[in-house]
Amino acid sequence: MDVLIQIVASGLTLGAMYAVATIGLSLVYGSLNMLNMAHGAILTLGGYICYAAIVHAGLHPALALIAAAFFCALVGLMIYFSAALPLLRAENFETNIFIATIGIGSVIENLMLKGFGPYPIPQPLAVDGQVVIGNVHIPLQNVFILGVAIVLMVGVAILLQRTSAGRAIRATSMNREAAQLMGVRVGRVYAQVLALSGALAAVSGIMISSIATLTPVMGGDPMLKAFIVCVVAGLGNVYGAVVAAIALGLLEAATQYVLGVRWSFATLLLLVILVLIWRPYGLFGKQQVVRL
Amino acid sequence: MTSIRRDILIGLACLVLAIALPFAMPGRYVITQSTLFFIWAIVVVQWNLVLGIGGIFSLAQMALFATGAYATAMLGFYWKVPMLAAIPMAGLITVAVGMLIGLACLRLRGPYVALLTLAIAQVMYVLIVNDTDCFTTTGGCMPLFGGVRGIGQFGDIGLRALFPSKWYVAHYYVGLTLLAVAVTISIVVIRGPLGLAFRALRDNPGYAMSRGISRFKYQLWIFAVSAFFTGIAGGFYAIHFRVVGPTVFSFSTLLFLIAMIVIGGLGSIWGPLLGAAVLMLADEGMRELSDYRNIGLGLLLAVFVIAWPNGLNGWLQRSRTNRG
Repeated sequence: MDVLIQIVASGLTLGAMYAVATIGLSLVYGSLNMLNMAHGAILTLGGYICYAAIVHAGLHPALALIAAAFFCALVGLMIYFSAALPLLRAENFETNIFIATIGIGSVIENLMLKGFGPYPIPQPLAVDGQVVIGNVHIPLQNVFILGVAIVLMVGVAILLQRTSAGRAIRATSMNREAAQLMGVRVGRVYAQVLALSGALAAVSGIMISSIATLTPVMGGDPMLKAFIVCVVAGLGNVYGAVVAAIALGLLEAATQYVLGVRWSFATLLLLVILVLIWRPYGLFGKQQVVRL
Repeated sequence: MTSIRRDILIGLACLVLAIALPFAMPGRYVITQSTLFFIWAIVVVQWNLVLGIGGIFSLAQMALFATGAYATAMLGFYWKVPMLAAIPMAGLITVAVGMLIGLACLRLRGPYVALLTLAIAQVMYVLIVNDTDCFTTTGGCMPLFGGVRGIGQFGDIGLRALFPSKWYVAHYYVGLTLLAVAVTISIVVIRGPLGLAFRALRDNPGYAMSRGISRFKYQLWIFAVSAFFTGIAGGFYAIHFRVVGPTVFSFSTLLFLIAMIVIGGLGSIWGPLLGAAVLMLADEGMRELSDYRNIGLGLLLAVFVIAWPNGLNGWLQRSRTNRG
């Protein structure tokens, strides 16, 4: 029983972090058909900005979190104006933006390497203490992460369902041309989505670095897992991504306990490959019929 | 002049220059760096077939390269297979692994393929690096795949024994021969039936498919062909450096190679070779600035994709048609 509580607790924390990292990716893919390979670097950048704001600028942790989210939203906007906007006018957008963001991600990552050094730094934004359920001690940090993630997810859901900007985003991801014909400014939707995705990435980077440590390359692993979540859920399906992220988090915690940390990622991947052979368009994705 | 004749002429000219190079610049550094260039050029030329001709957005090429290198090393280390036999066997093993990856991901659409192949490469890396159980204890503890330190002492093709002081020149010519074969194969694929099939599928998918051209079948073919030579290149890499470690999976190598293809010109015959040459030279030129190497590479990659998506090759062709 204690083991089960332990697995569920760490699985939910993992799942919540993956979910926040994934929502941004999924929104961007849904509306732009763009796989943002710089997402991992932006996520790391968020963690570092939060660190620098608290340690060097002496900001309050809550302000630091907002500053990091704001700065990474600006980076998202920059990616839109410098890469996505010019590439949208040319052919092969999906391939080209993928390669371009690999380049941008590498630039950001190596700038952080130059600026903050290669050594791990602890994230100062941490919550002390723990809660006890049965015989299991759960750090308050995990509860805090879960709380932040839930607040963000509810916020994004309200944004998507209840506001006109959200309706424009959903319309664009359903059918770009139709949305454009109805007077949706598609360019503005793209910019909003990339900024939002940058801010979400920053928050998930701060959460991930608060239970691990900050290193310039720490974004790669969560980004890959976020991509896996997206693929399992069906690229661009935001709500499916949240469900899949939490399921994968629980699964990862379970395999870590049963098989050991070494095999957890491999097991996860094997499962994903099987899912994709069974349903190539993802668990919650709709099969796309191509008309020639 | 027909395009195939032009290809042959360019190829022969490059070959003659490359054969003459060790006589003109006999310095050891130049020769060994050129050998490394040949290895990367083979990988890039084969990757270009998958990426540019087949339109398969696969990032598994470095994983296939690593498969070839590890297969060669392990065949030599565990079974004492002579290297001359081990390298072709490694090529076939790489084809088998490539077909498996292909079967798993070729029914998917573009971005799904990229993510899945990237994830597969990452899992191979993680499994190798995190493996710390001793598989053998002859000469110290060694995990099955060599762990972080990699595998060494698996034999040689004998050129070091044959030319004790000039073995690196011999390796240079081996690399050149392999590259020449790889480029020839890539020309045959691009100009031959496979290339025609892919062009038909691109120009009019409906008509091509109704004439019985199966995209899946041809994609699997091109995947297998390119896996073979990538595996052989991996085997030669193992021989040349005498050790195979998990560094072959590193993301900066992947970035370096994909930048070669994009800067040279995706999908063209000579573009990737040109890109490989330009980037190897640029890398040499920026040796003092090595801290900024990956920043520069990333910037170049992004700028080329955004401003010149057809690469240097496209730029050369445009200037030629403008003059003519």
